[in-house]
Amino acid sequence: MSATERYSRQILHWGEERQQQLEAATILIAGVGGLGAAVAELLVRAGIGKLYLVDDGIIDWPDLNRQLLYSETDIGLTKLEVAKQKLQQINSNVVVELLPQRIDATFHCPSDVSIIADCLDNYTSRFHLEAGLADESFLIHGGIEGDQGQILTLKKGQSHPLADIFAGAQQPAGDIPVSGPGATIISGYMANELLNIILGKPQLLNRFMIVGLSDLHLDFLDV
Amino acid sequence: MIKVQFYSLIRLLLKQEKFELPASDKENVGQFLQRLQQQISTPFLHKLLDRKGELILGTIIMINRRNIHHLDKLETPVVCGDVIALFPPGAGG
Repeated sequence: MSATERYSRQILHWGEERQQQLEAATILIAGVGGLGAAVAELLVRAGIGKLYLVDDGIIDWPDLNRQLLYSETDIGLTKLEVAKQKLQQINSNVVVELLPQRIDATFHCPSDVSIIADCLDNYTSRFHLEAGLADESFLIHGGIEGDQGQILTLKKGQSHPLADIFAGAQQPAGDIPVSGPGATIISGYMANELLNIILGKPQLLNRFMIVGLSDLHLDFLDV
Repeated sequence: MIKVQFYSLIRLLLKQEKFELPASDKENVGQFLQRLQQQISTPFLHKLLDRKGELILGTIIMINRRNIHHLDKLETPVVCGDVIALFPPGAGG
């Protein structure tokens, strides 16, 4: 099986040059839960060159409704180890590096990464993630709660900081309601925007795309 | 005119995407939102303000793409041509 055969359906869509750009790219995914697991799987299936995965979580039953990489037999195992195993079963050509840690004030992004996916589930870690990035890095934020989700692309040092934009947002008390279809929809948009960034054509730079998951509407908000 | 854009849960609550009101002299965003609520049949200020009229967390309020937390919060002046956005983001991932 050749790479051309493996990727033949998407090469028909976007061509050889774009495929080569994708295979040369490195992306860090912060949080490998509802959003991050699906984003990682889509990028690996597409043939991304290298992925860093950051998480410190253990797989539990409430994860299984939406975290597509995990199964009943994975309960109690670390998300990162299972994610790497599943991802490499899907595409062994992709390099998957694990960073088993909670994202806090000590976080520093690896120097070979300039595109970062915020698939985290809390604002504190999101702000630490942004602080740990080098200038010029692209940060794609995704968030979901119940019937709504949002995606936003920022360029560190040029865009308004995430922490400024989200001032006034509040972390809800307790568990956040998230459905499998909702998380997968937002993940799909995030993966698509990550591919746009690899090509140098982000579509959501300094622009929220707000997705209504119940009435299926899209809104845009410039920031 | 001052344009107000409603997003996500605020949009669902009010069942509309936007509303426009003429500007008023020396009005701040807190006063403007009170006046806006009088024009809209569905109450929404309980999502933004506590009983004392102080800003509560949960919804991002922007004026011309700037979060009012980095301006003068509810005291931020609004003038003709301003665009106000009310957006409660999703926190999960």
